[in-house]
Amino acid sequence: MNKIAIVIPTRSYLINLAIVGAILIGAMWLITSLFAQGLVPLGSALSAITVFIALIYLRRKFTPLRWLGIGLALAMLFTLYPLFYTLYISVTNMGSGHLMAKQQAINRLESELYLPESGATYSWTAFQSADGASYVLWLIDADGTGYLARPGSPLEAVTPGTGIVGAADENNIPLTLEGYERLPLNRTVPIITQLSAIDFGEAPNTVRVSSLREAAALQPKYRYDAAQDAIIDQETGEIYRPVEGTFTSESGEELPIGYIDYIGARHFQNFLGNEGFREPLLAMLMWNITFAFCSVFFSFCVGLIVTILFENLPGKRVIRALLIIPWPIPVLISILIWRSMLNPDLGFVAPILESIFGSSPDWFSNVGWTRLAVVMVNVWLSYPYFYVITAGAIRSIPGEIYDAALVDGASGWGKFYHVTLPLLLRIMMPLLIASFTFNFNNFNVIYIFNFGLPPMPNTIVPMGYSDILISFVYRLAFVTSNVTNYGLAAAITVLLFLLVAGLVIIQLRFTKALKETA
Amino acid sequence: MKKVVSYLLVLLAGLLLLGVNTAAFAQDTQLTLWIYDDGRLEVLTELGAQFEAEYGVPVVVEVVDLSEIRNAMTLGAASGEGPDMIIIPHDNLGPFVENGAAMPIDLGDSAENYLPSAIDGFTYDGQLYGVPLAVENIGFFRNVDLVPEAPATWAEVEEIGMELLDEGSIDSVIGFPDLTYNIYPVYTSYGGYIFGRDEAGNFTPDDIGMNNEGMVAGLAWVQHLIEEGAVSANIDWEASHVQFETGRSAFIMTGPWAINRFDTAGVPYAISAFPAAEEGGEPGYPFLGVQGLVINANKENAILAQVFAVDFLATEEHYQAIFDAEPRPSAWASIFESATDPNTAGFNAAGINAQPMPSIPAMGFVWDAWVNAGSLVAQGELDPQEALDSAVEQILAQVNG
Repeated sequence: MNKIAIVIPTRSYLINLAIVGAILIGAMWLITSLFAQGLVPLGSALSAITVFIALIYLRRKFTPLRWLGIGLALAMLFTLYPLFYTLYISVTNMGSGHLMAKQQAINRLESELYLPESGATYSWTAFQSADGASYVLWLIDADGTGYLARPGSPLEAVTPGTGIVGAADENNIPLTLEGYERLPLNRTVPIITQLSAIDFGEAPNTVRVSSLREAAALQPKYRYDAAQDAIIDQETGEIYRPVEGTFTSESGEELPIGYIDYIGARHFQNFLGNEGFREPLLAMLMWNITFAFCSVFFSFCVGLIVTILFENLPGKRVIRALLIIPWPIPVLISILIWRSMLNPDLGFVAPILESIFGSSPDWFSNVGWTRLAVVMVNVWLSYPYFYVITAGAIRSIPGEIYDAALVDGASGWGKFYHVTLPLLLRIMMPLLIASFTFNFNNFNVIYIFNFGLPPMPNTIVPMGYSDILISFVYRLAFVTSNVTNYGLAAAITVLLFLLVAGLVIIQLRFTKALKETA
Repeated sequence: MKKVVSYLLVLLAGLLLLGVNTAAFAQDTQLTLWIYDDGRLEVLTELGAQFEAEYGVPVVVEVVDLSEIRNAMTLGAASGEGPDMIIIPHDNLGPFVENGAAMPIDLGDSAENYLPSAIDGFTYDGQLYGVPLAVENIGFFRNVDLVPEAPATWAEVEEIGMELLDEGSIDSVIGFPDLTYNIYPVYTSYGGYIFGRDEAGNFTPDDIGMNNEGMVAGLAWVQHLIEEGAVSANIDWEASHVQFETGRSAFIMTGPWAINRFDTAGVPYAISAFPAAEEGGEPGYPFLGVQGLVINANKENAILAQVFAVDFLATEEHYQAIFDAEPRPSAWASIFESATDPNTAGFNAAGINAQPMPSIPAMGFVWDAWVNAGSLVAQGELDPQEALDSAVEQILAQVNG
C-alpha cells in the first residue's frame, strides 16, 4: 500500500495537478465572492480548508494524509467551523437589526428610494420594441398630460396621433407606437420586475416603475461615501456614521438596517459581571449537576434491581420484553404522556394520591415536586437501557468467582456486595460517565415536561427552577422573544461549552485513574 | 482506489461550480407565499392558480411554521433567501420592519374597505406594511344551562360561580387558559395595559403599563379566586377547556379556535361581551389580532408580489372566498359586518373596543415575563404588585440590552 502511494507516475501527477487546480479555481471563486459579500468567517474557513486540500494533494510529504483528506476537510467545515463561528458571534452584536455583513447592509440601504418633493408620479403603460430588447413607457401625469419615456433620453410630452405615436384610446394611452408593441396587462405583469429596474428618462430626472399603477421620479435615498465611511441621506443631507454596527447621525438618529460588528467581551461582561445573572445561574448549575447525577444514579439502580429480580423468574422473556417497552417509544411521546398523567386537574395520578394521602402534590408549579417529577420521568426513560446493559454485563462475570465466594461462606447479599457490584461497576463506569455527560445537556426531558418552569422570582431575565443551562439558553435565544440576540446566546453557549469540556476532562482523568487501578 | 478518489474530486469540483452557477442563472419568475396555518391553504392555492391563469406567473403557497417564517425573513434577509410573501399575525411585524424585511404597502383609496383597527394593526411608525386579511379576538363564554344571563361585572361572575361551586355542580368557577393573553380583558377592565401610545399613535416601551394599578387589581382578583378555591392554582390551557366542555366550569375566556371542540362536546354556550370591574364601568377589552399579507422587501420580485397582494388579491370577491373557506372575521369591513351567526356576533360584541396587540419588538420580551409573573402569584410566591414589578424589570432589562 505504502509503496504504491510513494511511487507516483508523472502522468498521474499531472492529472492530479489538473484536478486539484480545477478545484482550487472553483474554491477561489467561491471564496472571493464570499469575501465580497462580507461573509468573512465562512470565507476564511473555506480558505484554510482549500490550502489544506492543496497541500495534501500536491506535496508528496503529505501523501499518507490523502486517504483522510476529504474526511478531515469535512470535519473542519462542520465541526471546527461552527465552533469558531459561535466564538466569533459571541463577541459581536449579531441579533435583530444586526443580521447582515457591512457591505450587505450598505447595498440594502442604497437600494432604498424616495420621492423628492419636486418629483412627479405617473400612471404608466409599457411598450416593447419589436426585437423585444428594449422598453418604452407611456406616462400620464396628474394633469392628464402624456409623456413618452425612453431610458437615457429626457421625457417627451407628446400628443397622441403625432409623430411615431399613434392615436389614443379613451384613457389617453396610444394604441400604437412605431417600432413598438403595446403590452397588455397580462404581459406587463410577468416582466414588472425587469421594468422596475430600468431608469426611464435622463439622469438625474429618471422615472421608475414603483407599482402596477404608478411610476415615479424616485431617487436613491442613501449613498455610501467610502472616503468618510458614512451613509449620506440624499433627501435631508444628514450624515450617518457607523457606531457599533448602526449608522447613526450626530443627533443620535439611527438607520434601521445595521450590520454585524465586533463589540468585544461585552456579552460576557453583561452576563458574568451581573450579580442578578450570576446567582441564579449558580443555582441553576447546581441543579443541572444534581439532575444529571440523580438521573444516572437512579436509572442504574432501577436497571440493576430489575436485572437481579428477574434473573431467575419463570417467563422472564415476556417480562423482559415488557420492561424494555419504554425504550422504543419516542421520548417526546413518553414525556407528554407523563405530563398528562400528572396533570393535577385532569390526570389520573392526582385522584389516586388524594384518596390515599388526602392531598396530591403540584407537579408543575412546586419547585421540589417538579424537580422530582423530571428525574422520575428521566429514570423511566433511561432505566431500560441500563437494564439491558447490566443484564449482559452480569452474565459476563465468571461463575467460578461465585463458587469461590460460596466456599468462603458469603451470603446472598455478600455475593452481591463483594463480587457482583465491584465487577459490574468496573464494566459500567465508562457508560455511567457518558450517560452523565448526556444528561447534563438533556434538553428534551426538561423542556418538554415543563419548559424549565416554575419560574424563579426576581431574576433579570426569565429563568425557571427546573431549567438546566441548555434549556435556559434555548429559551433566552429563541423562545423568550421574537427579538433575537444571537450574540448573547452564543456567549452563553461558549461558557456552556467550556463547562462541559471541563467536565469531560475530569471524567477522562477519572476513567484513566480507574484503568490504572485495575 | 485512486481512480475513485480522483473521480470523487472531479465530482466535488463540478458540484462546487454548479452550486455557484445556479444562483447566477435567471430562474423562471414565480411567487412564493408562506402561510403559518393550513386553514386557508386550499383557497389561497386556488386564488394563486387564478392569478397564474390571468398573468402567467405561478404562485406557490406553502404552510410553514411561524418560527421558520421569522428566521427566513430576518436571518435569510442577508442572503436573499425566503419567500416573496408571508401571512402572519400582525404582532410579528415589528422585527421585520426593524430589519428592513417588510415592504411598505400603499393601498390607495381601497384602504377604506378595511376595518380601521385592522389597518391600525399593520401600521408601524405611521406606515402600512401589510394587507390585512382577517381579525380575531377572544370572547367571554358562559355555559347557558348554568348561567342563563351574562354577568355584567367580575364580582357577579364570582358570586354566580361560587354558588354553583358550593352546590357541587361545577369544579371551577371560570376557566383561565393562561394568565396573560386570554385574561387580558380582566386587566383592561381595571385600567391595565401593556404599552401606551406616543403622540403619533405608535406603541412605545417608554410608557409601560404592566405594573400599573389596573394590572395589579386584575391579577389580585385572579389571586383571590385561587385562594378561595374557585379556580385551580395550576393554570393549564387544556384543563380549562376540558372543564368547560364537560360542564364542570361555568365560564371561560378563549378564542374562536375553541368553537369546534365546544360544539363537538355539545356544551351549550353563548359568547358575550366581557364583564366590567364595577357596575356601570367600561367592559374589559381583549387584544385584537390581525392576520395579513406582508411582502418580503429583500426579494427581487417584491413589486410583482405587490401586484398579487394589492392589485389582484384585495377585492371583495376574493375576500368573500377566503371567508367562506374559513369563517374567521374578515378584515374587509362589509364582509365583517354581514356575518350573522351568533358566535361571530358574540366575538364582535366582545371585541368592540379591542386594541391591536402591540407589534413593537419590545412586545417580544413581554410574554415570558408576564407568564412568569402570573405563575409566581398563582403559586403564592409573590404578591401581584411584586410579581408585575419584577416582570417590568425583566422587560426593561432586555429592551435596554
